Amino acid sequence: MRDVAIVAYGETKIVLRSGRSAYELAGEVMEQILGRTGLDKCEIDGVCVTETLSQTENSFWPQYVCEMLGLSPTWLEVVALGGASPIGGVARAALAIRAGLCRTALVIAADAQPSRPPEQGAHRFEFLYPTGLHGPVGAFGLIMQRYHHLYGLNDAALAKLAVTQRNHGLLNPNACDKLRVPLTEQDYLQSKRVSTPLRLLDSVLVCDGANGVLLTSDDNARRLGLETRVFPTGYAEQTHYNLTEPLAEITDSGFLSAGPRAFQQAGLTPKDIASFHAYDDFFMAVLLQLEHLGFCARGRGCDFILETDLSYRGTLPLNTGGGQISAGQPRLAGGGVNLVEAVRQLFGEGGARQVADRRNALVTGIGGIPYARNWATSAVLILER
Amino acid sequence: MSKEQARTTSRSAPRPNVYMPTQPFWDAAEQGRLVIQCCRASGRFQHFPRPVSLYTGRRELEWREVSGRGTLYSWTVTLSPWPGHEARVPYICALVDLDEGVRVLANLYHCEPEKLRIGMPLRLVWERLDDRFNYPAFAPAGEP
Repeated sequence: MRDVAIVAYGETKIVLRSGRSAYELAGEVMEQILGRTGLDKCEIDGVCVTETLSQTENSFWPQYVCEMLGLSPTWLEVVALGGASPIGGVARAALAIRAGLCRTALVIAADAQPSRPPEQGAHRFEFLYPTGLHGPVGAFGLIMQRYHHLYGLNDAALAKLAVTQRNHGLLNPNACDKLRVPLTEQDYLQSKRVSTPLRLLDSVLVCDGANGVLLTSDDNARRLGLETRVFPTGYAEQTHYNLTEPLAEITDSGFLSAGPRAFQQAGLTPKDIASFHAYDDFFMAVLLQLEHLGFCARGRGCDFILETDLSYRGTLPLNTGGGQISAGQPRLAGGGVNLVEAVRQLFGEGGARQVADRRNALVTGIGGIPYARNWATSAVLILER
Repeated sequence: MSKEQARTTSRSAPRPNVYMPTQPFWDAAEQGRLVIQCCRASGRFQHFPRPVSLYTGRRELEWREVSGRGTLYSWTVTLSPWPGHEARVPYICALVDLDEGVRVLANLYHCEPEKLRIGMPLRLVWERLDDRFNYPAFAPAGEP
């Protein structure tokens, strides 16, 4: 459907240990959006914020955000899907606008250094922590080992992803400065293993930052004179895929379920996708998504990566801002990094890394690491001009 | 099953009964028996313990002792430790498919990473944590 549009985006620079709070970072994003659209703040009557790590002890975080930013919404929601929250927020905001709960919605994500480590609790004290599995890094080590057993994991493909995304990050002024240094395939291959076979450079650097997009009805966008519009034409998510199969294959994911539904909504196929902004907490997740979303057959992901030009000038531009791995992951706001980059590209504002084909973009999100699985939520968003 | 190679480590001990009553699991472990939640209606196992059956959504659950036999589903050698596990590096975390049809996350002992093969048979061993808990772990079935 093309009745609701993304009309603006904002993003702070991604910074390692910024010393700033999620509130302050969020304020910078809103100011950017107001500045770019020329809108008065009072036009924003819907707000969707992502859950954070830094403010998670505050059960009233969404209201605090609005109070802090001077917003009095008629629709307010918090989305807690981890890295899938920002694109999940876009889908929810579009529904709220269609339902008449609000007219113009700010979907915003901001996160910073928590004052103490957040604790997920539950079964983890008994059945996870005593084993010493190193969080997501350990979980992806298990996934990579399993994939290697089934299909063979080609290090050259992962190295190519690392270099491709780093080259993109070098062209992204918002990328974390620490990551804005050239990287070679040898650098990737020689980076130390943290949880075999996973290397340090397979994963993200955790940073501070914020990002957001503004949605409104297409009619209202015209009324406000907002000419640049991108339409969310397909969205699907899946949480806890195959949960009732205790021996489920961990190289299967919810993208096998969410992908076809999102493509069907948009009336597109993987061959139609002009650029792919894949959720990249780990390169292994990108490899699996290429297979699960149908860009290539199962087990063919490494060959596909090696055979395809994934640069911003290529046939399938991938994570053109560097992705989270080469721009930095602003904690639970990380899911918005690739969302904002996709919108930026479709607006034609990609600068030195602008893709040629900006008909559409595919953005994904991943959130949560369940017990003895891969990830909890898989979300797929298709944007079209 | 007898206790083997009791070890004491400084890592944090389990905290039973935090999110639901799990005492039967730890009581059985203290006797060297691994019990896993089983859905009475479907006869299927589930792990970690939950307040309801994963299969029916109902609370018709019981603790059943399992054989302690399983196979290796996947593993990772942890070189960058989780906090509290620094002294253990390198250590192996594994997904073990029990013969009863349920997957368990556990450490592997008495094995060299180079000799690990997915699908290899494993057997239950117990690790002593904090001198208070028997904690389930696995080892290659053929090793002494």
